[in-house]
Amino acid sequence: MIFKNILAVGLGGALGTLLRYYLNVYTLFAGYPIGTIFENIAGSLLLGFLTGWMINRPFREWIKLGLGVGFCGGFTTMSTLAADTLYLGNVFSLGDSMVYLGISLFAGLVFAFIGLVLGTKWSEVK
Amino acid sequence: MGILTLSLGGALGAVSRYLIGLALMKKYPKPPIPIAMLIVNVLGSFGLGLFFGLAYQTIPLGAYKHPLFLFLGIGFCGAFTTFSTFSMETIGLLRQRLYKKAILYFGVSIGGSLLTFLLGLQVGKVL
Repeated sequence: MIFKNILAVGLGGALGTLLRYYLNVYTLFAGYPIGTIFENIAGSLLLGFLTGWMINRPFREWIKLGLGVGFCGGFTTMSTLAADTLYLGNVFSLGDSMVYLGISLFAGLVFAFIGLVLGTKWSEVK
Repeated sequence: MGILTLSLGGALGAVSRYLIGLALMKKYPKPPIPIAMLIVNVLGSFGLGLFFGLAYQTIPLGAYKHPLFLFLGIGFCGAFTTFSTFSMETIGLLRQRLYKKAILYFGVSIGGSLLTFLLGLQVGKVL
């Protein structure tokens, strides 16, 4: 049981990491960490949605862990957010790094909430 | 090769986050703010800073061909830390109208991650 949960988290984490990597590589041309902004916002939306959905229609424990803790957790990242914020502050300006941080945080929270509301609503058993 | 390195790093990072989270929640079942992911994020940011300082003496923009960068930076530290749970926990506190706790959790998570990343980077540069 515990082994199955760990396996699901590992698999989800690996998939989330791969997707994050490819999004980062394909947005490198921008010279600005738009990949990480997108990942953190989209991952927050998805985790919000899953959390809302499971209020009405719970998944099995290992599926829940694989998608939430594994995939969403591995797809989004705080360490790169910290690195990007300080990188932008160094190379560009403090303003640029504040804009990056502000967009990530504000949109992350807003989209997590939107996901939660939609997930709860769409999963209602009629 | 890159896919394997990334997957392994990501899987190890996510599983470590899960297990450390479980252990912390067992030890502190009712923390005033959700400390498990806060600690994980602060630790993981320190780790990434330290790795960058040691390996590059700076924050590299795109060392995407370096296997160690893929394994430790993007893979392990990237997946060990998380933003989605941070968003959800902040929303959870706000919805319970625990505004002070929400601000505290939000501020310590972000401020702590930035500071420990910077600390890790400086320590790594010196070593």
